[in-house]
Amino acid sequence: MPFRCKNLVLLIASLFFYFYGEPIYTVLMLVTILSSYLHGLLIDKFRGTVWSKVFLWTSVITSIGALGFFKYSDFFIKNVNSLFKTEFALLGLALPIGISFYTFQTLSYTIDVYRGDAKVQKSPIRLATYVALFPQLIAGPIVRYTTVEEELSSRTHSFENFSYGVTRFVIGLSKKVLIADTLGALARTLHGMEEATVAAYWFYAVAVSLQLYFDFSGYSDMAIGLGRIFGFHFLENFNYPFISKSIAEFWRRWHMSLGTWFRDYVYIPLGGNRVSKWRWLFNTLVVWFLTGFWHGADWTFIIWGLFFAMFLMLEKFALNKFFARIPRVFSHIYVIIAILISFVIFSADGLSGAVADLGAMFGADGIPFWSGETAYYLGGYAVVLLVAIFGATPLVKMIVSKAKETRIGSVVCNILEPVFVIVMLLIVTAYFVDGSFSPFLYFRF
Amino acid sequence: MQKKIKNIVVTCAFVIFLALFAGLCVTRYFRPAEISESERRPLAQFPENITWAGIIDKTVINGFEDYSVDQFPFREWFRALKANFQLKVLCLNENNGLAVKNDYIAKVEQDFTPELLEYSIGRLQYVYEKFLKENGGNKYVALIPDKNYFFAKDYGYPSPDYEKLAEQVKNALNGMEYIDLFGELELTDYYRTDTHWSQDKIGAVADKLAQAMGAADRINSEYTENTLYPFKGVYYGQSALLPKPDTIVYLTNEILDSCTVYDYETGQTGKIYDFEKFEGNDGYDFFLSGTKALLRIDNPNATTDKELVIFRDSFGSSLSPLLVEGYKSVYLVDIRYVVPDLLDRFIDFENKDVLFLYSALILNSKSFK
Repeated sequence: MPFRCKNLVLLIASLFFYFYGEPIYTVLMLVTILSSYLHGLLIDKFRGTVWSKVFLWTSVITSIGALGFFKYSDFFIKNVNSLFKTEFALLGLALPIGISFYTFQTLSYTIDVYRGDAKVQKSPIRLATYVALFPQLIAGPIVRYTTVEEELSSRTHSFENFSYGVTRFVIGLSKKVLIADTLGALARTLHGMEEATVAAYWFYAVAVSLQLYFDFSGYSDMAIGLGRIFGFHFLENFNYPFISKSIAEFWRRWHMSLGTWFRDYVYIPLGGNRVSKWRWLFNTLVVWFLTGFWHGADWTFIIWGLFFAMFLMLEKFALNKFFARIPRVFSHIYVIIAILISFVIFSADGLSGAVADLGAMFGADGIPFWSGETAYYLGGYAVVLLVAIFGATPLVKMIVSKAKETRIGSVVCNILEPVFVIVMLLIVTAYFVDGSFSPFLYFRF
Repeated sequence: MQKKIKNIVVTCAFVIFLALFAGLCVTRYFRPAEISESERRPLAQFPENITWAGIIDKTVINGFEDYSVDQFPFREWFRALKANFQLKVLCLNENNGLAVKNDYIAKVEQDFTPELLEYSIGRLQYVYEKFLKENGGNKYVALIPDKNYFFAKDYGYPSPDYEKLAEQVKNALNGMEYIDLFGELELTDYYRTDTHWSQDKIGAVADKLAQAMGAADRINSEYTENTLYPFKGVYYGQSALLPKPDTIVYLTNEILDSCTVYDYETGQTGKIYDFEKFEGNDGYDFFLSGTKALLRIDNPNATTDKELVIFRDSFGSSLSPLLVEGYKSVYLVDIRYVVPDLLDRFIDFENKDVLFLYSALILNSKSFK
């Protein structure tokens, strides 16, 4: 197929994919693409003049304005109503799927063009292909324009890329369908138990944290795999975050594309850490307020973001020095506990729900520590929990890499890989057929 | 070199997988299945009336998704694969709410729903207050523990509080004599693939009821066992595990053979066992032709004039034949399918023995609503 047609076909397929899930808002996405395209051209045309900056700002305001209108209107109205005792009607808008992701992608494009980090894209088809690219359109990773700039004009295909892409896609799909959804069922069950126990709430925290990880990293794997099949090399989005020994490290390993986006487009422009202590505290709070708010229009997400800001500050001023003096296992335990608590807040039904869930984890209202029901559910899900915990570490990767170093190991791996791909495809298909699939959690962001 | 071959194999395998299923889906489009026999439900069909409005409001897309899942090639095989993976590889306790141990399949219920119990028991209370409270005759109530009670006890699964339910029934119907059946049953008295009990295993239950109602002396309890195979119970298809079907063992003797069954709804008279129904969707309908609002079994060889009215669910269909020998007539009322207010048009309750015989499973369901 001629290269020009490749992008066009991919664009049409991507638009159909989006239209299938979100018929009306396909128009919104097309308008967003057109806005970015025109702003890119105008920023480039007026480079060196004040108009370039004006068009950058109109681009930012347009993109953030659309995101704010569709995602945050009701949140603001609710808070205004509650603060000023007014009764403004809620808009009740459905959240366009993936708007947070593609808005950040279009912003990265216009900002990079303004900064001179990326060349302006004169082909509307190529720019539209970049924004609408279906593998990562609805739940990330946030692919920066500069990452795929060259591949939009020239990319190669090979059995190696295709095979890697298929394997990665199947791994991601399996993580989502077999592990994340099963852990989701456990989390719902533990959270909904009539007679709550402290242990059940801690295991709920484990289940929900691992569910989020396998759900989101599974989608990222699928996106990276599909991208590779079509000749794109997307950057990694997760790097075994649960092995971190500090919260700062955790955020270098979790949703890396979002972390680097905020670092490059918010934190560093605010001055980063090369500023006074008070200014750094302010910068940190702003970035983590926005990180939390990006995830959802609810105070729980804002608190969740600020919760991390608090730990980052504590680490910088005290904890790093403290943990440097004691065995590393303690810093690891500290990170795991902080993460578990953070994801309980993240998953809670409003602030009061978060307070109730956290209270139950620490035995509020004298709830018992253990019960037969807790044992029954943990026994039933023990294998999945162990697989998930094991799978959240780099052990599997290390074992496979080690095996591949030997001749026999390499042969075995090469034989097993196609078998693994087919078996997992059949099993996840079985889950789809039996109606056991639930939407990706990050679709709602 | 090996890696190169591996890459080609993975690529080809994936492409063939997609092409194969795409081809099969197209074939299926032209020959869609109408029903799922194993799940006893109609399957979704390709959306009709595809309109722009339907596309925009997603009804077409949702309909297409239902269709594509229901009509997926080798659907039963995939459902079995998933069930086996869940239960045998992931070692989960249940698949789609069903647990399997030693070939016995049971629905795992954590708790009863208080609102449902209250409503169902309230309906029984209403019948008692309206027709029975002031009447002569003996009145009895018995609660049938469903399969989950024994399954949970034997295999350590959670189960609702059956003792509490029994107390609730006793308190609500305290003008009736409560007959405790819990000690007369065990898990093996139930079909492996169905919710119901097997007629050949409930002799002790029938004896206990007859004893309590003073009919034991009139019942001979000698039967010939006959079999029907295969009986695929309600869990057979739901479990997706393709288990070995059950055998229906039904009991006959000269008395039962001579009995006739009058259906008030259709005005037709038939027999206790309906062989035609065995071939239908639910083989258990073999007993008294399945769901019926109001039946009367007449025993021409009765040695008494006594009559019995059983308010019952489907468990009563296989049990009532074992009581019929002790009565001239046995009325079977299912108040889920008949308005209770109309009952006195058909039944004179005066001086009749009355038995409320309900399973916990049905009391805790929406079927009374």
